[in-house]
Amino acid sequence: MRVGPFTAGVLLKKKYLIFHFFLIWSSLIVGFVEFWLYFRLLYFQHIAHFYIFLPIYIFFIYISVGLTSILFAKILLIITHLFHKPREGIFIRDRRDKDYRYWCIRNTIKKFPIWISHKFPIPFMDNLCFKVFGVKTNLSNSLFEGWVDTEFIELGKNVIIGKASIIQSSLILGNLLLIKKVTFEDNVSIGAHSIVVPGTYIKRNTILASNSMTTVDQVLVENFIYIGIPAHKYKPNVFQKEDLEEFIGDIKQVEELREKYEQIYVKRYDKEMSQNKENPNCVKTSETIEKNDR
Amino acid sequence: MTENSAKAEESGVIKEEVKHQFKFYITAFFITYLLSYFIPSIIFAAYIILVFFPFVLMVPTFVELFTSLESIIALLFTPLVLTLCYIIRMYVVASISKIIWNYTERGSPSKEGIIPRNIPSKTLNFYHIRSFLIKYPKNLFMKGLFPWAINWLYNFIGSNKVGKGVTIEEQFGADRFVEFGDNSYIGVNSGFSSHAVDGSFGNISYFKIKLDKNVTAGGMNCVAPGVTVGANSYLFPFAGATKFNHLKGNNYYYGVPLRKIFKKKITEYSSIPKEIIEEEQNYQADPQSFEVLKKVISENYSPNYSVEALTQAETETPQLKPHVIDDKDNFAVDFSTSSSINRISLKFLFLYLPIFLASGLLAGMFWEDMSFIASLFNMEILYICLLPVIIFATYNMFYFFCVILSKLFLIFINLIHRPKEGIFRAKKGNTDFEFWRLRTELKKLVLWISNNYPLPWIDALAFRWFGIKMNFSSHLPDAWVDAEFIKLGRKVTVGQGAVVMSSMIVGNYLIIKKVIFEDYAVIGGVSTVSPGTYVGADTVLGALSVTNYNQKLEPGWIYFGIPVIKLKPNKYAEMRRDLIVKKDVDKRIKYTTETEVNIDEDKKILVKSKNSNSEHSNKGE
Repeated sequence: MRVGPFTAGVLLKKKYLIFHFFLIWSSLIVGFVEFWLYFRLLYFQHIAHFYIFLPIYIFFIYISVGLTSILFAKILLIITHLFHKPREGIFIRDRRDKDYRYWCIRNTIKKFPIWISHKFPIPFMDNLCFKVFGVKTNLSNSLFEGWVDTEFIELGKNVIIGKASIIQSSLILGNLLLIKKVTFEDNVSIGAHSIVVPGTYIKRNTILASNSMTTVDQVLVENFIYIGIPAHKYKPNVFQKEDLEEFIGDIKQVEELREKYEQIYVKRYDKEMSQNKENPNCVKTSETIEKNDR
Repeated sequence: MTENSAKAEESGVIKEEVKHQFKFYITAFFITYLLSYFIPSIIFAAYIILVFFPFVLMVPTFVELFTSLESIIALLFTPLVLTLCYIIRMYVVASISKIIWNYTERGSPSKEGIIPRNIPSKTLNFYHIRSFLIKYPKNLFMKGLFPWAINWLYNFIGSNKVGKGVTIEEQFGADRFVEFGDNSYIGVNSGFSSHAVDGSFGNISYFKIKLDKNVTAGGMNCVAPGVTVGANSYLFPFAGATKFNHLKGNNYYYGVPLRKIFKKKITEYSSIPKEIIEEEQNYQADPQSFEVLKKVISENYSPNYSVEALTQAETETPQLKPHVIDDKDNFAVDFSTSSSINRISLKFLFLYLPIFLASGLLAGMFWEDMSFIASLFNMEILYICLLPVIIFATYNMFYFFCVILSKLFLIFINLIHRPKEGIFRAKKGNTDFEFWRLRTELKKLVLWISNNYPLPWIDALAFRWFGIKMNFSSHLPDAWVDAEFIKLGRKVTVGQGAVVMSSMIVGNYLIIKKVIFEDYAVIGGVSTVSPGTYVGADTVLGALSVTNYNQKLEPGWIYFGIPVIKLKPNKYAEMRRDLIVKKDVDKRIKYTTETEVNIDEDKKILVKSKNSNSEHSNKGE
């Protein structure tokens, strides 16, 4: 399943739909003019050719409609940026807030180009969408398995976005909207079903394992494997080295592994832990107590 | 299968397979699909013939197209007419679905209660019919041109109750029996599912989810049946509620399973200062409190942070395992990542384009034949009336040729290099890795089209076509499933939004290992299955769980967690169905209440309840 670029579907005011309709209308006109061209070329000469090549031509019309919508959306975005520049920070989820309003407008503008490139079976148009809407990424990055936000994101080379993962630079939290930049350096790999929240900075060669989540403004240092909700340092990433095929193994005692995970997931593994290494009972927080009660 | 039924007879518990009402499904689908195209296609064909053809297509020169008034008006109106037809189609689909929905409601009204899945009943059949029925309109709206209309759809059909100002992002659940309060935000890929399958021969828990006003869910929130969420509750991403949880509201919730968190933790996770959070909780949505909150934010928060300082702090925090590079433990794959390919290259276009162009050509020839026959016998009006059928048939032709051509390419690729299991270098130049990528991309093309196909079982067809041993009784349309090295038994259910991977990229290595699901396995929603996993017969994997590389799950158990461990034996069929355990998350109390079992009156004797055997009931709690 391909999911690809993502923009939030918040429609604050119904009048914002005018942008959506404008983009549909303007890009479809280009498609119809192209159809006119095709019709003039073939209909009167070879009617059979007209029908036979129509699906292939529709394929090209589709591409040009998509590209036009991306172009027009970019122009609209530049115009809205003149009125209000997108910026990072905490905003209020209320229609009085200018930043929140303009965030909604930007999302509404991006909706149609993203939809039309997403309905296209070949993924290159999605990448173009990312590029044009201001995500710093390589054209060869494969970003189609997870929901990746389309602004305030910077990706290095050879980034792997896991299946069904969510990379968001904006997060709605109660009455607040948090917008912050997400940066991945080279060779970062995000596991399946992982969530990267705004403000995350992931350094080179780091793996975020599946079903994990980062916290806001978290920095994941290089050459490590991170795991957990929220993500914690787990072990050094040795899988970048050469000739390990024979050493890579699996875990036989899953119960033991689960206990290790539990330490990461449930207990607060931070300063308390490092100070009281000799007495592991010290780290019993309210959550562990709750777990034992259950 | 015979073994299983023999066992069932011994214990005296009925274990009958679910019989899907395929006849009903297919009729309902074709009625909806074809009828919905009927009116819009007539309108559009009329517009084309009466306006577009004479005023636009017959204009000989490009300059005249934009200078003559009639042609420019006709050209400018065409997109609007097309959009209008699209909207009409959406409306017709919704209306037909509503009519069929109301009809099924008369047959067996949807009400709260546990539906036994091992005993065939009318209630169960209607439950499945409704499940199928809502899928097509939901996908049409949610993945369509106007995703905002999904709120209207739910209210119109009456499957959900959606309040004002609600945003529901793209997700697989939340399609029925959910109540959304005003001004709520449901994040992407959340599973707000009011129905949960507890084992192939267990129950379907079917309880309403109630959200009060101003509830926000960050994303990937699994919410189980029977959950009630109070006003102003804020669910962090990944917060998952188990069955029958009650959240009081006015609070932040976090974790799997979710729990209330304190202000200190909120600041830690979201790096929003304490003052802002305090003020935010008093926020009343009036101009005065807006100004106050705005002022507090500007005083206490600046978005800039130093990456260097945070890196320094993060480097100093100890990791769980000691940092010894040569430690053997380091090489063990005791976590799971993903099977996404790392990059797409332009050379894939050499695969895509021939397949597309050739199948487009063939589909075009089919269409040409149709119109030729129509013109030969002067049946233009019939042709226009049958346009929906012809469009559908052409689409099918295109899909069919795509499938055949990709299979040909695949055979060719597999002849050059046989796919095999093992551990390979994930680097440019490694043949196994390159061919794995090629295979994945090639299959993705067909799987993508089958995913967009209106009928959900086409996925199974595509999977079988690519040589995966699976039965049509298995269900996997809403999940990310790798299309090689997978074996599925009978009636396997893969939950909504689950990821099943037979390959995994770990750093510079690619691991490929076969995944086997035995008969009647149930994989929960939003769970991840790593390569080499073996799931025994009748085993249930809970939602939001992860299996480890090469993990073996024994038959007849319920597994849960990250990584999964045994939770309890899968004995839903033997347990009492009229007892449910509710949980108050804020006060951490559990209490048991009774509900009615949702099954036909004449079959109530078959279900264990208060009056009959209560031997097993204690175990269930």
